[in-house]
Amino acid sequence: MRPLLFFACLCLTLPTGAAEPLDLAPVKKWIARQDEFRTVQADFTQTRALRALRSPVVVPGRVWFSTPNSLRWELGDPAKTIVLRKGDTYLLVQPAKKKAQRLSAGNIGPEGGAKGFAMMEFPLASDFAEFQKKFEILSVKTEGTHCHLELLPRDAQARRFLSALKITFDTKSGHLISFEMVTRDGSSMRNDFTNVRLNSKIDRRTFDYDLTGIDVAEEKN
Amino acid sequence: MRSKIRWILLAVLAAAFVGAGLSRISFNVEILKMLPTHLPQVEGLSLFLKHFAQPNELIVTVECASPEAADAAAEALAAHFGTRPDLVKRAVARAPWEKNPADIAELFAFMLLNQPPEKVREIVAGLGPDKAAATLQASIEKLTESISPQEVALLSYDPFNLAGAMSTSGLMSGTQQSEFSSADGTFRVVYLESAKPFANYKENIAWLQSIRGAAADVKLPAGVTLGFTGEPAFVADISGSMEWDMQSSGFVTLVIIALVFWLCYRRARPLMQLQGMLLLIFTLTLATAGLFLSELTVIGVGCAAIMIGLSVDYGYFVYQRSLGHTGSVRELQKECFQNIAWTATSTAAVFFALNLSSLPGLSQLGNLVGIGVVIGAIVMLTVFAPLTMRFRRSAAPHHESVIERLFASPRFLNAGAWFTLALVVVLVGALFILGVPQVDFSARTLRPRKSDAYTALERLQARLIDDRNVLSLIVSGKDEAETLTRLQAAEGELAAAKKRGEVKGFRTALPVWPVGENQRTNLPLLSPLATDLPRLKQAVLDAGFKDEAFALTDAILRQWSAWSTDAPPIWPTNETSRWILRRVASRNPDQVLAMGMVQPIAGHEDAVTAAVQRPGAWLVSWGQLGRELKRVIPQEFVRVIATLGAIYLVIVGIGFRNVRAVALFVVTTSLVLVCLAGAMSLLGMTWNFFNLAALLLLLGTGTDYSILLLLALQRNGGDAPAAQRELGLVICLCVLSASAGFGTISWANNVGLANLGQTCALGLLIDALISLFLLPRAWTLLHPKRMPL
Repeated sequence: MRPLLFFACLCLTLPTGAAEPLDLAPVKKWIARQDEFRTVQADFTQTRALRALRSPVVVPGRVWFSTPNSLRWELGDPAKTIVLRKGDTYLLVQPAKKKAQRLSAGNIGPEGGAKGFAMMEFPLASDFAEFQKKFEILSVKTEGTHCHLELLPRDAQARRFLSALKITFDTKSGHLISFEMVTRDGSSMRNDFTNVRLNSKIDRRTFDYDLTGIDVAEEKN
Repeated sequence: MRSKIRWILLAVLAAAFVGAGLSRISFNVEILKMLPTHLPQVEGLSLFLKHFAQPNELIVTVECASPEAADAAAEALAAHFGTRPDLVKRAVARAPWEKNPADIAELFAFMLLNQPPEKVREIVAGLGPDKAAATLQASIEKLTESISPQEVALLSYDPFNLAGAMSTSGLMSGTQQSEFSSADGTFRVVYLESAKPFANYKENIAWLQSIRGAAADVKLPAGVTLGFTGEPAFVADISGSMEWDMQSSGFVTLVIIALVFWLCYRRARPLMQLQGMLLLIFTLTLATAGLFLSELTVIGVGCAAIMIGLSVDYGYFVYQRSLGHTGSVRELQKECFQNIAWTATSTAAVFFALNLSSLPGLSQLGNLVGIGVVIGAIVMLTVFAPLTMRFRRSAAPHHESVIERLFASPRFLNAGAWFTLALVVVLVGALFILGVPQVDFSARTLRPRKSDAYTALERLQARLIDDRNVLSLIVSGKDEAETLTRLQAAEGELAAAKKRGEVKGFRTALPVWPVGENQRTNLPLLSPLATDLPRLKQAVLDAGFKDEAFALTDAILRQWSAWSTDAPPIWPTNETSRWILRRVASRNPDQVLAMGMVQPIAGHEDAVTAAVQRPGAWLVSWGQLGRELKRVIPQEFVRVIATLGAIYLVIVGIGFRNVRAVALFVVTTSLVLVCLAGAMSLLGMTWNFFNLAALLLLLGTGTDYSILLLLALQRNGGDAPAAQRELGLVICLCVLSASAGFGTISWANNVGLANLGQTCALGLLIDALISLFLLPRAWTLLHPKRMPL
């Protein structure tokens, strides 16, 4: 029922399209550089501009990523929500509520795959061909060392509620500057990354969580 | 003059009878109508097809390399059919709630109404003047913390978190499988509901043709491929092919009979008369079937050719006798009566005895052929016999045909015996080496060989919804409350099965099932909330939400108020609700049904099915049906064949009054069946529901050859070559005609029916060879002094 209502709520606007010839060179270069990043650490500010709310909600957070698929995503300071990924398993922890939930990657987003609203999937694609297979590129604009990329997932389910994915990256270092998801109802969720550290050492324990005293719910039917 | 009036009156009566009968003929394409209704899988699948198969909903599949083109094509088709109310009541290319998001509030209100009263009291408390602000603040916090896009989107439009009271398990939870588009968007589906229900299969076929024509008029992007499936497409495909199979096999059989007759006798007039008789028999039988039998199933359709193939035997016999007959018509009729009555009675008795079976398909087959055989014997004796005599008097003397000359040659009879012996050795050897033919009761044998509807369905399963390994849960009760109790019990069993590792997942109609008791308690609590709408809206705005955040809450509270005077059980009724519920709930005055889907772990299907199975609850699939048939049908056939064999033995025993003749008959029949099994193994054929019925047909038809041979041996004082000479031509004609009849249905579109035709044709040829060449030889070897039987 919930996904149904969710889709119904998001079906208020239509996706936009773009047909101009695009300069894809910076994108290709950026994707090609993804292999160079073994680890990523950053702070971020998440701004949730929801259509139903008069003013946006702003939350700080932190992220750690290590190849091939270890992730720690903390939302709030102190963290109110922590997402840990190891392989295909996600652990969602709410420390204050002493609750956790274990999920498979297929259940983290409504359309399947690690496309959770608040997070970005790392890495986006292994090469440009895969990137193009996964995303339709709506626009590419370069301003100085900032490249603004507007995408739309090719996944039909995701397209039903997303009108755009907006990514800004640094063309020099290749690191993410911002990542925004815009839904069809006009809501958006934007992550602005700061203090980005690439390929610095991350303690493996970062991707673990001591579940002592935490009530862990397993994935439901 | 009086005779003429009598004939005219008879013709008028016959025409009226035929007209009335043929007008009542109808086909039932439901394969389950042929199977025993007491089997749980048959019972459950029948309910599924009757209540959830959507008989008026055509599924149009749209496939294209580009998602944009597929989307445009689907929209164009839906728009075009939206302008054809003469053809289509509703054309749906995307979920109704996408078109009217507000509509979902009704279903939402309904689901909340069904929640346990304690949960509803919590909702009501959360909306109270003292708690509303805190409830809204909790929602704002969740909107800040949640990483779930679903939760964020929902809460922003459901600030009082009414959805929080609903269970997240069951039908609507988890990843939604779209019934409109594949994940990559290159495969789309448009649902078309016919403007009115179909009165019969002809209307259905005509409607589908109109839809195909209208779809061809739509300007679609290049590279778009359309497919048509769903119940109306299956009905059109199957009934259309049944009609064609019936007409074509009957026609081809008539042509082959004409050729065989012409090759043997080279006479045009008796040939025309014989063909006329066969048409008359066929028409009278079909009219009788229309008047006295229910709808024809696919197995009944195959009987047209079989009836003709059997009835012509009597015609050959009468004609062959008439060639050497010098007496009156009455004497010819008397002479033929004994043989025809004998074989017709035994054949009809065997076919009518198929009513002993619990298989309705076999009973229908038995009744149809039994009626045809009786009508055939009567027509050939009363109408054809006088005609042959009239013709004989005016015709030139009879010259021996090639077949008669062959059967007069001892060399030919010797060669025939050695050939048949060699064939028997090869076939028995094949059976010994390769083993008995495999048994195949899968759904494959129940479906048409070529069907656009099946092709489109396979694409649909490959691209959109693969439900091939899914079991359907069907729960039935006399009212909502009974169905609910059974549904809850089924859910309990499924949850336990999941814990045992037998089930991967399941979804049932429980989350959207009305709980009358809860509705009765909840409605007085929820319906007055509409009076608080201004206060609640102000609280929402004060908490930082916009007007639009209150729209859903507003609609839900108004819906509860609108239901305040309704008597439970209350169902939602708007278009979106009906669309969602159409595949999970079905209501009739005396029966209320719920549906669910279960994904079993491979190898545990039987265990899960058995666990859920109880009065009013079935877990079904075509695969499970195949497994059930494999368990039950062979036993059923053994029982029926044993009964028929016993009846036959009694009839044969009374007829021959000779133990050796009966023993020879039993040995011949057994050898035929063994050789048939060997031939089937050699040709890679399998036993299925249909060609097991072929065994019964062989008992009814093929055994006539050995009976006739034994009777001829009796007449000829044990002179085997004389008996072979006497019956060589007639049996050759009979077997060629009957094999032609069965042979023509070998190409039938229905796989099972085609298998029946192949098995019967093969069995009859083997039977004729053994009866004609080995049976007399065996008797001679056993009785070298030509002892009379």
